[in-house]
Amino acid sequence: MPWDPTVLSRVRHLHLRARTLTDDLMMGEHRSRRVGSAVEFADYQEYLPGMDLRHLDWRVLARSDRLVVKRFETETQLPCTVVLDLSGDLGTGSKAERGYPPLEGSKAGYAITLAATLLYFLHRHGEPVGLEIVGGSDRLHESLPPRGGRNHLQLLFLTLASVRPGGRADLAAALTRVGARTRRRSWVGVISDGMEEPSAWLPALGAFARRGTDLRFVHLYDRAEWTLDYRTPALFFSPEGGDALAVDPSGAREAFEEVVDEYVAEVRSGVVRWGGQYLLVPTDQPMEQVLRQVIVGYTDTSGATWR
Amino acid sequence: MALSLLAPAALALSALAVLPLLAHLARQTPRDRRAFGAMLLLDRVVKRLRRRRRVKDPLLLLLRVLALLFVVFAVSGAQFSYPGGVPEFGGSGKVIVVLDRSMSMSLSDGGSTLFARAKTEAEQVVRNLPDGTLVDVVTFAGDASRLAPSLTTDRQRVLGALDEVQPTAGGSNLRAALLEARTLLGGEKGEVILFSDEAGPRMVGDAGQEVQRLVALGSAIIPRPIRADPPRNVAVTSAKYGDGIEGGQVTVRVTNYGPDPTEVPCEVVLPDGAQIPIFVQLPPEGEAEQRITVPREAKGGVGRATCHDPDLPFDDSRYFHLPRIGASRVLVVDGDPGDTPTRSEVYFLERALAPWGGLRTGVRPDVTTPEGLAHLDPEVHRVVFIANVADPRPFGPRLVEFVRKGGSIVISGGDNVTADRYNAAFGSILPSPIRKPRSLVAEGEPGVPLMLPSASDELFAPFARSGRSGFAKVRASRMLTLEPYQDTPKAASGARASEGVDTLLRWEGGLPALVQRRVGKGRVLLWTSTFDLGWTNFPLQAVYMPLVQRLVSYLGGEAGGNAARFDGIVGEQVKIPLPDVVMEPTVQGPSGTPVRSHVDGSSLVFSPEKAGAYAVTLESGPPIAWVAVNVSPDESDVRSYDSVGEVERDLDPSLFTKQVDLAPGLFGLGLLLLVVQGLIATRGVS
Repeated sequence: MPWDPTVLSRVRHLHLRARTLTDDLMMGEHRSRRVGSAVEFADYQEYLPGMDLRHLDWRVLARSDRLVVKRFETETQLPCTVVLDLSGDLGTGSKAERGYPPLEGSKAGYAITLAATLLYFLHRHGEPVGLEIVGGSDRLHESLPPRGGRNHLQLLFLTLASVRPGGRADLAAALTRVGARTRRRSWVGVISDGMEEPSAWLPALGAFARRGTDLRFVHLYDRAEWTLDYRTPALFFSPEGGDALAVDPSGAREAFEEVVDEYVAEVRSGVVRWGGQYLLVPTDQPMEQVLRQVIVGYTDTSGATWR
Repeated sequence: MALSLLAPAALALSALAVLPLLAHLARQTPRDRRAFGAMLLLDRVVKRLRRRRRVKDPLLLLLRVLALLFVVFAVSGAQFSYPGGVPEFGGSGKVIVVLDRSMSMSLSDGGSTLFARAKTEAEQVVRNLPDGTLVDVVTFAGDASRLAPSLTTDRQRVLGALDEVQPTAGGSNLRAALLEARTLLGGEKGEVILFSDEAGPRMVGDAGQEVQRLVALGSAIIPRPIRADPPRNVAVTSAKYGDGIEGGQVTVRVTNYGPDPTEVPCEVVLPDGAQIPIFVQLPPEGEAEQRITVPREAKGGVGRATCHDPDLPFDDSRYFHLPRIGASRVLVVDGDPGDTPTRSEVYFLERALAPWGGLRTGVRPDVTTPEGLAHLDPEVHRVVFIANVADPRPFGPRLVEFVRKGGSIVISGGDNVTADRYNAAFGSILPSPIRKPRSLVAEGEPGVPLMLPSASDELFAPFARSGRSGFAKVRASRMLTLEPYQDTPKAASGARASEGVDTLLRWEGGLPALVQRRVGKGRVLLWTSTFDLGWTNFPLQAVYMPLVQRLVSYLGGEAGGNAARFDGIVGEQVKIPLPDVVMEPTVQGPSGTPVRSHVDGSSLVFSPEKAGAYAVTLESGPPIAWVAVNVSPDESDVRSYDSVGEVERDLDPSLFTKQVDLAPGLFGLGLLLLVVQGLIATRGVS
């Protein structure tokens, strides 16, 4: 499977897409939570646009006309982990297809692309990156702890390219497990549709809070699904199993909207209560905006905001 | 109430009601399946909607089925029929207002009388009739009359005549009123508006045929009942003197037609003005009877029993005939004063006629010798007992004249009675010539008993309930015999002719014991045995006293002159047979004023307009007849028994039925339900 041409193609596509998005971004410094307390010089790093100019080594610039910044020990070791929910429910929605999901438009494809881009970006900043896949058709709970190096990045891309949505996420158990493994003062980005009972899995975020983890929860959804934008009644069913329901979308739309609002408020408040940052992302939102918000915490005019 | 369909076959379309059912069932299983990534949220929606759906889905189904059924019924031409109260009038162009002015319409109710209300409403009806409508008013009480000679469009004229109409104390002849209305319509269709209380047990029933004839003409009778709520009235419904063997009491019957018990003050006023007050307690819708003993002596004439109640004054009094009551109307002629009581007829007759010495009963017999008959006064004595008088011939003509003028004599046997003398004295009035006495049994043997009398005979009617068997204990050992005779046959009705011979009692074996001969107004009774113990044990038997007293009242022993007694009803013609005189009698009303009367054949006819004592006199002489005129008892009964409307409804129910075309309403309702279910269906149904 890893050498499946389709997978290789998807890897290239992912790589290209991630690099393009990353380059398009105004590159910025990933600020350490411990800035100011670091005293031990580690090495130099080539300056990238967006880095703090205070750390620019003016002497090197004067001698060699190169822009480098000084790096300290405490800033170099920020393990970053992307927790990617690829349960069966991610396989639904607009542009959903059997097999490998399209990397654009579908929920699963959107999540994979977002994860790949984040990993690439963080890798480019020299951070050790890891990947935790929750669910998935044949890679249930794939766990790749944070590491540095290009080979590790290639492994992450290969994993992302070859995974398909399926099965149940069991978010409570998965987040508890990941939380237990996460190092103190690390960065964790969770990309999920959150389609399990919030009261069951939100307490699992407590493990991240106790470790001082910088938690960012990207709540992904398909706009058509959350507005019941369907014309005809149908027998609705979840790919993860359970009873099917006969639904007349026109009749249930109003009540469904109320439920969505209550649900979003419930998840948002739960994430914030455990010290995380919450971002609600529809699959039709441009990826660039999302990346900026996830990485920089920037609030743009799209209305999607942290917290 | 009934539901009818113009096109019942269209009901088959109601089978379409299964369509909503099928639609509901079909909706439960959509064909398409859709993978959905937010089932968690959908589950929450379902939980939230489940409660609504539990009510909503059956409601929708019901609304849709109802909508379809309503449309189907609309197509079927559904009509709803219900009792419409009374027929509506208008449209025929001929209107006859019938106004009841009988006595019961004078009932007070709410400060006015029923008649006043009826009259006001009748005037409004006439006033509001469309121009050109032919109209007339018929009023009725005991008879009916029209206000205008024919139907007219001149409403003012009719209103003017209607204003003059006054209530009466007469009866309710609705039949005559409807006949008058039918005559006015001349066989054509019209509308008869009836203003009446429809009170009394017979008023509507008697008019049933006329109602039927009017309905058959296509006419409609529109009843406008004018009633009190509840009707109340206390009336004296009967007052009668003498109801026993001897009489002496006025029996007054008072009836309460109201729903509540009451006590009313009453009084009995005798012809001489004597007043006897009483109080009568009455149950709700019931009656009470009071017996008032009249004084030992009272003037004959017409008395009055009055009970006061404020609801309907016309029937508070009832007039009754009171014969002259005195203690001296019986004269016993003692032809054989015996030396011992058992050998004296007078001894037994006195005690039988006045057991308490004449103090308690109305009879106080006068006893005289045969010579005393020379002073016989028919105004004082009406019954004369000839008890074992030896020679009545000197007084025969006087006694014969006495009988011809209405007096009565009772002749008994005895040892002094001789056939020749009696036949000579009373031959013309005796039932049959007397023969000599004969023994019925040998000495020492028990006598021959009486046969039981006929209970249907007027004389023995009081013995019908008890005492009749006592006659069989009367035995006789000796009796007067008579020449053979034949009883005068009775009429087909059972009544006896004014002249004739009747054997009222017989001894066993058929020999006559008591024989009567009617002579004009008088009677002669021949008792073939004795009134003492000479020939019979009769005086010692229980029936002796009541039979002797009964003989007195039977023979008209009540003195009161020769005035005849008649009864009449207010509003109805009173016919009095003319006496054999040349002069035409006149009638005086209760207030002493002359009343218009006329001679019709052999009768004097007049129509009393109010209750009271009417006297028929010749010139200024004493009354030759008294007429006690009372209101009709039916008019006192102010309760309703039947209604013209019900009679009419039985004849033609369509007059009282209204129909409503339900089709437009059902169709609109069906569409409305469809819209409503549509609105509900679009709100959150899954």
